[in-house]
Amino acid sequence: MGKPYASRGKIAAAWSRLGRPNREHMAASALRVPYWWVAALMIAFAGWQIMMDPFGFSTLTQRYTQDISNLLITGPYLYPETGRDKISVALIEEDTLHTLQMGWPWNYGAHARALDSLLALHPRAVVVDLLFVDQRKDDTLTDLAGEVRRYREAGVPLYFAAATDVPEGAPPLRRELIAAGARMVDPTTLVNQGMTRQYPTEGLCFGSKPADGICRSLALTVYRDLYPDQPLAPLKSKMEIVWGMKTNLDPAFTRWLTGGSCSIDMPFLHRMWLAFFDPQSVRNHCPYTSYFPVEKLMMGDDDKDVAAMARGRIVFYGASLEGVQDKSFTPVNGLIASVFVHAMALDNLITFHGKPEQDVATIGPVTLGSNPAQVLAIIPVILILSWLHMGDVRRRAKKPKGAEHEGAGAYIADKLASFAWHMLAFALAMGAGLVLTLTLGLSVANWVEVVFVSLVVGGMLLFSIPDAIWGYVHHVATGAPREEPS
Amino acid sequence: MTRKLLLVTAICLLPLPAAAADDACANIAGDVVLSARTPEVDLYDAPNGKRVNTVKRGAFPACLAIASRAPNMMIQVTVNGRLVWVPPHMVNARLTGKKPAICRNLAMGRDDSKVGATRALGEDCPTQQKGKP
Repeated sequence: MGKPYASRGKIAAAWSRLGRPNREHMAASALRVPYWWVAALMIAFAGWQIMMDPFGFSTLTQRYTQDISNLLITGPYLYPETGRDKISVALIEEDTLHTLQMGWPWNYGAHARALDSLLALHPRAVVVDLLFVDQRKDDTLTDLAGEVRRYREAGVPLYFAAATDVPEGAPPLRRELIAAGARMVDPTTLVNQGMTRQYPTEGLCFGSKPADGICRSLALTVYRDLYPDQPLAPLKSKMEIVWGMKTNLDPAFTRWLTGGSCSIDMPFLHRMWLAFFDPQSVRNHCPYTSYFPVEKLMMGDDDKDVAAMARGRIVFYGASLEGVQDKSFTPVNGLIASVFVHAMALDNLITFHGKPEQDVATIGPVTLGSNPAQVLAIIPVILILSWLHMGDVRRRAKKPKGAEHEGAGAYIADKLASFAWHMLAFALAMGAGLVLTLTLGLSVANWVEVVFVSLVVGGMLLFSIPDAIWGYVHHVATGAPREEPS
Repeated sequence: MTRKLLLVTAICLLPLPAAAADDACANIAGDVVLSARTPEVDLYDAPNGKRVNTVKRGAFPACLAIASRAPNMMIQVTVNGRLVWVPPHMVNARLTGKKPAICRNLAMGRDDSKVGATRALGEDCPTQQKGKP
């Protein structure tokens, strides 16, 4: 009958220690914190931080970091130019309408003439980024349908963007064009907090039956058709677009651009300095993909520069007109015509040989979302930091009492060690992130939180927070400092 | 050496057809369509009109005096007694006058604002059928 009373006494004592702990006992216990406790507590904290995304701050920070990284590092210095000279854009703009004295919308015949002029320049393929969906009376529709046939006879693939939100039963493209054999693609783009950073990997089928059974979005469909020797990687979820910034500065390609420069050539430190005060100041005014005004096509003159931008290239035919609202905000250009989003997505696919950066990591048959991948990536970082921290705990445990009153040299050395500690956490996390990018193609936005959380973990270890929690918990549970190991 | 000479001669002779056509049309003053450039030439009823006929390159007449030019660059000529419009990319032409300058002013490009209105496209709503919503 004595045991329940004894247990009750222990619980009452623990309850008492919970409110009024013995600080000396706690401090003694904290110096004997076990490794598994430090590691487990830090992993739990990091996991919570990564998975919970409180107030969306993590997502915001990640995406902004992606933008800054693209604007300052990957865009101007790292993104290869592999795909740049394989894609062009032919653009209808306000100036096009003004020069040709044509109103908007154009009739089908005008588009047919522009496309025919383009065909005469021998492009590799043409993607029409205009929606021909509304039923309107226009006798020239047969001209455009005839142009579809002309492309087919010339062996030049011609794709048409098709509507994705038409009423049930309505065709996504004029029936006459479908009947002529127009190939339809899904032109959906993605907007995240107003910015275009991602691109869909899948789209609507529009009645087609691809060999692999997966209907792809516009850029992926074009890539799959035109680059069969570099097949698409198994893509899950979304593409993360890396925006190129090195516009081709050959005067032939930029001769109609006046009043500014397309050059982004400046030393890295200068770029960082400007961006420190205003990131917008280092954006590029010119799109990465070469483009030419459609009126150059309509003029029919033998313009060698336009011919060079069309011959053998995949040409996107689109428009950038006020009030048509087909514009997108990008991290490196600001507001530009959405046709450049498709062009850049295709450029990414060509440059990365069908394995673009993504927001998921695929390891064998397993596909991990960015959060689980980040939790997995941070575990080795935490294990290393915790192991190093244990060495510090052991040193403190062995230090004789009163030794804390040391000279200025020791004080400075201690602060330097703290700084080095944070840098180590940063370096380890950066290393883990780069491994994720290089091996699994995970975008910077999807691992950068590992860096932030590692810095927080490093700070928590610096302030011995896991040790203090252990000291408190151990003291409350047992009432006495843990015995010295023999 | 002979091969090189032949090659150089061939290269030099390449632009001859257009030049020959130009010479052949020397008696026509002003703007002239010299010949067809593409395998087929489309004929239109108006500068921004409908395609009324398509003529094979071989059947397209040479040395056509240009009656007028539209702002959208279409060229008016008489083919087989009929006044028609042809797209300039489909023909070789000798044109006088200054072409419009094509330029885009980067300094005027706005990348942080856009028009908050929709362009009136002039599209009609699909005609509703009787008995259907």
